[in-house]
Amino acid sequence: MAKDDSSQPAEANGAVLSFAATVSAAPGVPLLRDVRIHLRAGRIVGVSGPSGCGKTTLLRGICGLVDADGAEVRLHGQTPDEHGWPVFRRKVVLLNQRPVLSEATVRENLARPFCYATAAGAFDENEAADLLDRLTVGRRRLDQDAHSLSVGQQQRVCLIRALLVRPDVLLMDEPTSALDADAVGAVEREIRRRAADGLACLLVSHDRAQVDRWCDRWIDLRPHMTEHARAAGEEGA
Amino acid sequence: MILLAEVIQLDWWDLCLSAGMVLVVGVLSLLLRLGIEKRLAVASVRTVVQLLLIGYVLMWVFRHHWSIAPLAVVMVLVAGYDAVKRSGRAFAGMYWLALLSLIASAFLTTIFVTGVIVSARPWYLPQYFVPLLGMVLGNSMTGISLCMDHLLEHLSARRAEVEVELALGATRWEAARQPLQQAVRRGLIPLINRMMVTGIVSLPGMMSGQILSGEDPNNAVRYQVMVMFMIAAATALGSISVALLVCRRLFNRRHQLRADLLTKRT
Repeated sequence: MAKDDSSQPAEANGAVLSFAATVSAAPGVPLLRDVRIHLRAGRIVGVSGPSGCGKTTLLRGICGLVDADGAEVRLHGQTPDEHGWPVFRRKVVLLNQRPVLSEATVRENLARPFCYATAAGAFDENEAADLLDRLTVGRRRLDQDAHSLSVGQQQRVCLIRALLVRPDVLLMDEPTSALDADAVGAVEREIRRRAADGLACLLVSHDRAQVDRWCDRWIDLRPHMTEHARAAGEEGA
Repeated sequence: MILLAEVIQLDWWDLCLSAGMVLVVGVLSLLLRLGIEKRLAVASVRTVVQLLLIGYVLMWVFRHHWSIAPLAVVMVLVAGYDAVKRSGRAFAGMYWLALLSLIASAFLTTIFVTGVIVSARPWYLPQYFVPLLGMVLGNSMTGISLCMDHLLEHLSARRAEVEVELALGATRWEAARQPLQQAVRRGLIPLINRMMVTGIVSLPGMMSGQILSGEDPNNAVRYQVMVMFMIAAATALGSISVALLVCRRLFNRRHQLRADLLTKRT
């Protein structure tokens, strides 16, 4: 695995998603200056940096849930405005670290994104059931209330929900933080399978060994950190 | 109008006797050390002074029709302030959104009632316009206040849920739908509950007043039904309109939820 010097122009060619911006916690509080990320189909890129340096904000900035200063974002060469933001976000899906499911059954939660106007197809329950089995949650959970699942199970249900919408890019924020070793293995196999099918991934993880195992290359955020990010990191440590 | 019996007029002596009832409460408070006698005294004096003043204002307005305009403006401005002041969260400009919803809902319904249903000529005849506007404002204000408070609370406390929808490709209105529905429902529930029990648990104040002042109960009932429906329409309009305006303000064109605009109030 190569440490990434992500400003190489060659990488911009063939990138599914390219992102360049300064990431801020609030107006006038920049955390990461001049971050450049290029994601290619089938590749998993890792992001590392100390706690509180703005990794989560970076992912939120990439999918446009928050504004990033001077952001230049291209998906297949087009800006999110050209795609339309909801369409763009459906193709660049963010997977939160903390699972967020609504008070409904697992099935209803997984089917929810197919109610939106941007939905391309219909909810495929068989595919959902297969994924629940493969990620060791079990298809019998489909009718269970999502909030009655353990945090680890919820985390995997959220991953399944993200995979079902068939994004081109998956932004993962500590996707295995609440999982035991077996489940981590299952998630890893699934992500690799998706990558082999062309999914471009960005992985934020504290686990260096995991980044080494999963990723084709990694981006070190430390050189991009501002004084605000360093201060936040010290508070967090 | 049929006068069933000659209306018994209240004179100043009658009012003094009624003050005696409050005095008894004050004595009880002193004896039992409830500690409310001071507040009770202030509240009683305020009741007398405010009602006397509004009585004079109304007499003035009834004689000078033009003065209904400034009166209506003051009523709306105060109601708008009241609608936002109890909200647990705030954002810049929320007063104006509440005010706009209040004006739209209250004036639309009141003018429809005085102009078309009651057919007062002119439609702003103060005898009808002022009390009807007052009732509509009071209720619409409560609806707007509850609705807005609930919506802002939902958008901050359950921000993650809303953002997950956005992250999976929902448009801002799709993501706002559930908070919006729940907030509007919250704004309307007290009114619907009241409509359910009206006439069973208590007689509505306006109807009681009309009957006391000698009105035929049948006519009082018809007025009350109209007033309930008018209030329902105004409350629903006000709640829906403020919910839509708040969502339009807190979700931007890039379909982001601007929860950072919300500040918590203590």
